[in-house]
Amino acid sequence: MNEFFLITEHFSILKQINPGFWVILAGLICTLLPIGHARKAFVIAAPIFAGLLIFQLYDVNSTEHLGGVLQFGPVELTTLRIDELSVVWGYLFCLAGVINGIFALHEKCRITDSSALVYTGAAIAGVLAGDMVTLFVMWELTAISSVFLIWKGGDHAYAAGIRYLAIHVLSGVMLLAGAVLHAQANGGDFMFNDIGLDSPGGWLMLLAMGIKVGFPGLHMWMQDAYPKASITGTVILASFTTKFAVYALARGFAGADILIWIGAIMTCFPVFFAVVENDLRRVLAFSLNNQLGFMVCGIGIGTSLALNGVVGQVFVHVIFKGLLFMSIGAVMYRTGTAKASELGGLFRSMPFTTVACLIGAGSIAAFPMLAAFVTKAMILAAAVEEHLYIPFLMMLFASAGVMEHSGIKVPHFTFFAHDSGRRVKEAPWNMLLAMGIASFLCFYLAWPWGGYQNLYALMPYPMEYAYKPYTWDHVVFQMQLLFAAIFAFTLLKRFKLYPAERRAEILDADWMYRRMGLNVAIWGSAMWDRLSVHTSRIRTRTLSNVGRRLYQTFSPAGAASEATPSGLAAVLTAGLLFVVLMLGYFAR
Amino acid sequence: MSVETKLPLETDVVTKQMDDIHPVSRYFLFLGKDSVKRNFMWLPLAGMIICIILGIFHPQKHPLPYEQYIPGSWAIWGFVAYSLIVLSANTLFKLLGRDESYYGEGGLPDPDYSTDPMVTGEAHHE
Repeated sequence: MNEFFLITEHFSILKQINPGFWVILAGLICTLLPIGHARKAFVIAAPIFAGLLIFQLYDVNSTEHLGGVLQFGPVELTTLRIDELSVVWGYLFCLAGVINGIFALHEKCRITDSSALVYTGAAIAGVLAGDMVTLFVMWELTAISSVFLIWKGGDHAYAAGIRYLAIHVLSGVMLLAGAVLHAQANGGDFMFNDIGLDSPGGWLMLLAMGIKVGFPGLHMWMQDAYPKASITGTVILASFTTKFAVYALARGFAGADILIWIGAIMTCFPVFFAVVENDLRRVLAFSLNNQLGFMVCGIGIGTSLALNGVVGQVFVHVIFKGLLFMSIGAVMYRTGTAKASELGGLFRSMPFTTVACLIGAGSIAAFPMLAAFVTKAMILAAAVEEHLYIPFLMMLFASAGVMEHSGIKVPHFTFFAHDSGRRVKEAPWNMLLAMGIASFLCFYLAWPWGGYQNLYALMPYPMEYAYKPYTWDHVVFQMQLLFAAIFAFTLLKRFKLYPAERRAEILDADWMYRRMGLNVAIWGSAMWDRLSVHTSRIRTRTLSNVGRRLYQTFSPAGAASEATPSGLAAVLTAGLLFVVLMLGYFAR
Repeated sequence: MSVETKLPLETDVVTKQMDDIHPVSRYFLFLGKDSVKRNFMWLPLAGMIICIILGIFHPQKHPLPYEQYIPGSWAIWGFVAYSLIVLSANTLFKLLGRDESYYGEGGLPDPDYSTDPMVTGEAHHE
């Protein structure tokens, strides 16, 4: 370790290059590397290297480390900024990159390895970017590199990948346009700091980030693309894109009131979709959307407690949501499906995966001693402190919803419920190892005796007092909510009121462009074709008429060739002379 | 010449079924029993009642305006919210549910592999 730090001291260039760029470089090398084991070494080593670099470059005593300053005409780019906010995301993405790499060790695929590395590197470089142009470039690179993970899901994922790419490129373009407008209004300063909503540029940037973070109505790319990606692809995708956008929101729009309500709505609406969804990876995508709502709401509240809660929630969320996606991915790897209607009783075959899924489920539901218990409570407490009672109640409602879809539905229909009769092998060792690491972290980051305190140490904003999660009232009231939700589930099951899992396509906001938009485009195309035919016919007829008239006039047999009396010619000449005379008179 | 058909013994069938089960899972097979599933509901009920009682003795330090008058307010909220979400499912399904081929992008179950009751025509066995 010490040797590594000495190397960075000697090679000062390492202090100027964004650590994410090294991961991107590793990904590019992987595209040319035919040896699978060597690629896997890169997949694991590159994020570790980047993490060590961040650790070395970040000095807790100074406010920020700036580097990689480039001058393009009047525009100055600061491609590297490590401060107390970005460093958390930097560490987190490196950690997620390593866990994802271990989970994907069994997959011998050059495309997956290289695109996963470029995607991870772009996300790391994006959160460590100091200016908005670098942010934009990384914003787009995350989209372009990750689409290959979706396409690896098979032929049926192709259209979803195209839609994903189109939406994210649009988001990037809006981000750039907003950044240019914002910089113009601020004397050409492209540094990415607090943006605010005072200018049109700010609104454009908020909308761009809203697409990437899944604001209500702009969210459907997530539920469309994630369940169709490859098994490892979904796990990797769930770690970076949306959390990158949460970082951008926390950096640019902390304390924007509108985010409180957007976030509160985001927590609530996905729970209704998740309950009717049969595809468990899509259920988890809705669950992801719901958890992002808590983060967006916390950013909107904007107090130190809320923002620290957001930072903590992002950190633990990447781990427990990754764990849930990994467990369902392992099931899919063994059974070939993630449909609830085709699963059940798998605890008989996959006991370790079952335990991992239950730990992930308990973490997301915020059981005491598990990950989100500490961090989600900080956001809720911040809402109460600011007397935001309605958003608080909406988030409490959504907490019961989280218990439904991720806490109960996913593990119940996969590992318990009716026995599907499938007897499969336990997940491969590498998947179990990745799930084991994530499970350990779920416990560790909520551990009362020295666990969550380490998470607190990463939190960027100074608080008047350290939030204490393990108090009698917090534990007791949280357990009231969770026990009541589980009791409601058992009661509804007993009276057969819990809906059976059914195969179906559940319509959502993407119907607007996948069905209505498509039909409007088809209708418009048909109308254009008909208009073209009519226009063509009119044009042909007009040209034909003009040609015929000209022929009738000027051809050898036409009217102009006929012999005319000299008297008529004299009259015409006199008339022409009169016109010229008048023109000459008035022109003077 | 007669062909002697040897039927498998019941113990062989049980052994075969047990062979399919993961060794660790054999200790937890009781979780699949009907009686366990049926009686599981008492566990959260007991937990909920205990937490409501504890909540009376350890009230919230920063309650919402209405919460101090309602013991077990979070339990009520959790029960009602959960029930509302689940009970809305059928209506939502009728409104939003379409055939899986609605968008015509593939990804439908493989009939040779699927165990879905709608594909196989057979109910899941318990």
